[in-house]
Amino acid sequence: MDDQSCPRCKTTKYRNPSLRLMVNVCGHTLCENCVEMLFVRGSGNCVECDTPLRKSNFRVQLFEDPAVDKEVEIRKKVLKIYNKRNVDFSSLREYNDYLEQVEELVFNLTNNIDAENTRQVMEQYQRENKDLILKNRAKLTREQEELEELLLVERRDSEQKRLETLQEEQRHLQARRRNKQTLLDELESSQLPACVLLAQHKDRAAQLEIQIEKQKQVVKTTVFSTGIPMGQTICLQPVCGVEEELFHYRPVTLETHGPIVPHLEQLSRLGYLNHVRGVSQQDVAGGYTSGLACHRAIQDAFSGLFLTEL
Amino acid sequence: MYHNSSQKREWTFSSEVVLEQKRREANEKVCSRLMASGKPGASEAALLDPREEMVLFRHYEKRLVDFCSVFKPVMPKAVMGTAIMYFRRFYLNNSLMEYHPRIIMLTCAYLSCKVDEFNVSSSQFVGNLQESLAGQEKVLEHILGYELLLIQQLNFHLVVHNPYRPMEGFLIDLKTRYPLLENPEMLRKSADDFLNRAAMTDAGLLFSPSQIALTAVLNSASRAGLNMDSYMMDCLGLKEDKEMLSKLMETMRRVKHLTKKYELPKPEEVSICKQKLERIHGEFPTNTNLKRKRGHEDEELVVKRPLVAEEEFWTDEDLEPL
Repeated sequence: MDDQSCPRCKTTKYRNPSLRLMVNVCGHTLCENCVEMLFVRGSGNCVECDTPLRKSNFRVQLFEDPAVDKEVEIRKKVLKIYNKRNVDFSSLREYNDYLEQVEELVFNLTNNIDAENTRQVMEQYQRENKDLILKNRAKLTREQEELEELLLVERRDSEQKRLETLQEEQRHLQARRRNKQTLLDELESSQLPACVLLAQHKDRAAQLEIQIEKQKQVVKTTVFSTGIPMGQTICLQPVCGVEEELFHYRPVTLETHGPIVPHLEQLSRLGYLNHVRGVSQQDVAGGYTSGLACHRAIQDAFSGLFLTEL
Repeated sequence: MYHNSSQKREWTFSSEVVLEQKRREANEKVCSRLMASGKPGASEAALLDPREEMVLFRHYEKRLVDFCSVFKPVMPKAVMGTAIMYFRRFYLNNSLMEYHPRIIMLTCAYLSCKVDEFNVSSSQFVGNLQESLAGQEKVLEHILGYELLLIQQLNFHLVVHNPYRPMEGFLIDLKTRYPLLENPEMLRKSADDFLNRAAMTDAGLLFSPSQIALTAVLNSASRAGLNMDSYMMDCLGLKEDKEMLSKLMETMRRVKHLTKKYELPKPEEVSICKQKLERIHGEFPTNTNLKRKRGHEDEELVVKRPLVAEEEFWTDEDLEPL
């Protein structure tokens, strides 16, 4: 992969790891430092294509290819105007044509093909469809709101869950501590020998652990990670085990009833190929080698030679 | 390769006795059927016995070889070998009285052209016959009609392993591993002749193609006054295995014997048998099954032939395991 580098100061990512490349509407890159230097006054021309640029329009380059950054920017702009949706059309065909038109516009603007005309087309479209665009924009925001609400609910849920588990843990910790405290108290005040008390304590501790474990399990098993409650009726018929004999590989043995035939690769070493017709260039192109014919002849000569009395 | 072929499994028999038995059975079956038909011509004397069938078979086989060797474009040897083998296999289970060898012979040649990838069109094929154009068309019609029958009677085992490639293999092997022999190429001519003669015997139904090829090479060498024993010992690894060596020698002796024994039938004998055959085919036409095989056959042709009670015979034949 080529190292990214600034076209002006030739700094590369390798030499300056903190290098940040910026890209503007024309799709040409500059590093952050050069941007600072060249655009001190807030505006200037692109180093490569002389397009007048504003400093505020510089964005951090997200993609390896700056052209992609440019396209993303343009697409965003175009889609702001061309925001019709499937339901606004009477047939799928029309909708597809519309989408294709959008792609055409994006492509033209990205690659500077007929840019002036394209911009005019866009403006005309905007004038003609003013109402629809506004309406759709509103719809879009409403949809976004809904989505955000959903996200919020989800986040709240997970937060609550986290708190719950935290509380649970705290309670367990407390129980353990209380248990320990009782042991110490008893050791201090009771008449019974220490080993008995210790054994009692161990018993209690074990019981406590089991309880905690149980609670945890209960909590765990009420719901699947997919959100489906465990008790819900899902067909869970036990899968019948199929008992089958395992496959055992047995190497293939070929009984040729004859002398051993040399391998195809050995033929030339053993000198067989000196005695067969050579191959032309056309034959080789087709994947033919003189070894193939030679091997076949030898194979046929030896196959079944020692066959007697079937 | 031969060692896992249908030829080895289904079409290589243990001895000449088995072959004879099969041919006799085929002959007897047809004889009894014809006798039972109760036609006046069906008498013991009028029908062919197995020996006479063999005479005619040899005759037509020779004609097949002649046809193939003058075929234009030149036919590769393997195609001819395959055709002869088909012919032999077909008449192992069928009688000449049932299917006329003249047409079966051409069908065998036609089928082997296809199977061995010798590309000739059907009209080109019948163009090799000394016939008028109309006659050629008629023969073609017959060939196509019998083709499926032939394939079925061959039990769909269409790949034939001929001894020609093994012979090439042996020559290559000799050149590579047996420098004692100065010029293996000189063995080729007489070995080729041997293979051509062996093709007209039952050798192909009894032995593997490699055995026949080795016999041809060794036979050619011994005619040239060369001793190849050391090749067998050292290169084929038979030094340790004396038993196998003697068995192989015995096999080769049998191949040689078969080839030597072969002789063309006498012309006068052939003409007598031929008359009989023509009469049998005249009186008991068996071509009705053609109609079944080819729906578009000439209406007129079918009508002309008397409908003998062939139907059940055909289905019987169909079901009978080969």
